[in-house]
Amino acid sequence: MNGALLLAGLLCGALGLALSCARGRGLIVPCAILLTAALASAALWQPGLLPQATVLIACSTSIVATAAAVFLPARPPRPLAAALAANAGFWCGTLAAEAASLVLLLALPLALVALPGAWIVGRGYGIGLKVASGWLIAIGLMTAALPLLTTPGYQKDHME
Amino acid sequence: MVAVGLWGAYLGRPLVYVLPVVFPTVMALGGILGMSGLAMLPVELGIAVSVLLLGTLVAASKSLPAWAACLLVALFGLFHGFAHGQELPVSANPVGYCAGFMLSTGSLHLAGVALGLLTGLSGRLRVVPRILGGGIAVAGLWFVYRAAAG
Repeated sequence: MNGALLLAGLLCGALGLALSCARGRGLIVPCAILLTAALASAALWQPGLLPQATVLIACSTSIVATAAAVFLPARPPRPLAAALAANAGFWCGTLAAEAASLVLLLALPLALVALPGAWIVGRGYGIGLKVASGWLIAIGLMTAALPLLTTPGYQKDHME
Repeated sequence: MVAVGLWGAYLGRPLVYVLPVVFPTVMALGGILGMSGLAMLPVELGIAVSVLLLGTLVAASKSLPAWAACLLVALFGLFHGFAHGQELPVSANPVGYCAGFMLSTGSLHLAGVALGLLTGLSGRLRVVPRILGGGIAVAGLWFVYRAAAG
């Protein structure tokens, strides 16, 4: 799977940005949910259960949805943060299972971008996070379209 | 990209952060159109005109209503995205390609914004963005000539 690690990283990064804006300061619970969901999904997911294209589209739309949480008029409540973490963990684990590589789980620590993110939001510069989330939404939109359009670049290249 | 940031810094809030969001978002849509192989107006000419116009707007310190600035930047983003999308099929790693061009575009916007804001702090340096805008406009003029001739 081309770019699976990057997709997982972008998803965890988007989660980190969303958690930066979430109500409450507790990061431990969402991060625990992320880790648990990722490990469970990586262990239990059967490769081929869904077409890889569907998995990639789901990951990309998850990036869009997670990054869009930063733009909510009110700060995301804790249940929403937990749901986003579970979703991100699930799809990261699924990507790892599909790619048969637990290396993809190395993307999970990118959710810790929430630590500097929360510091930035606390100082009133949360708009920077919105700009970064806008970029992630744009990337998610494009990567969601990739499996739907026939491009030679989406197929295995000479290095795989 | 730098001109979008410079212009946003000149226009101030909210456009200083709205433009760097609008441009990549519409660029993604343009990229999808480019990937799908749709026919479009001459892309190179559109990009060249965008460089020329944005450089001129920065050099002239010209303000536009927020909606017009967003519309203009969105139109230019569409051309840029279309060109990237057209090139994507030969890429070995399309996800990396998408992330790469989006993030580099965003970084150039930020560089322009930072340059505009920092030079705006000092009265004597306020002319710097206008000079840069003039340079960008001259480069845009050259691009337009090349695109029209080619």
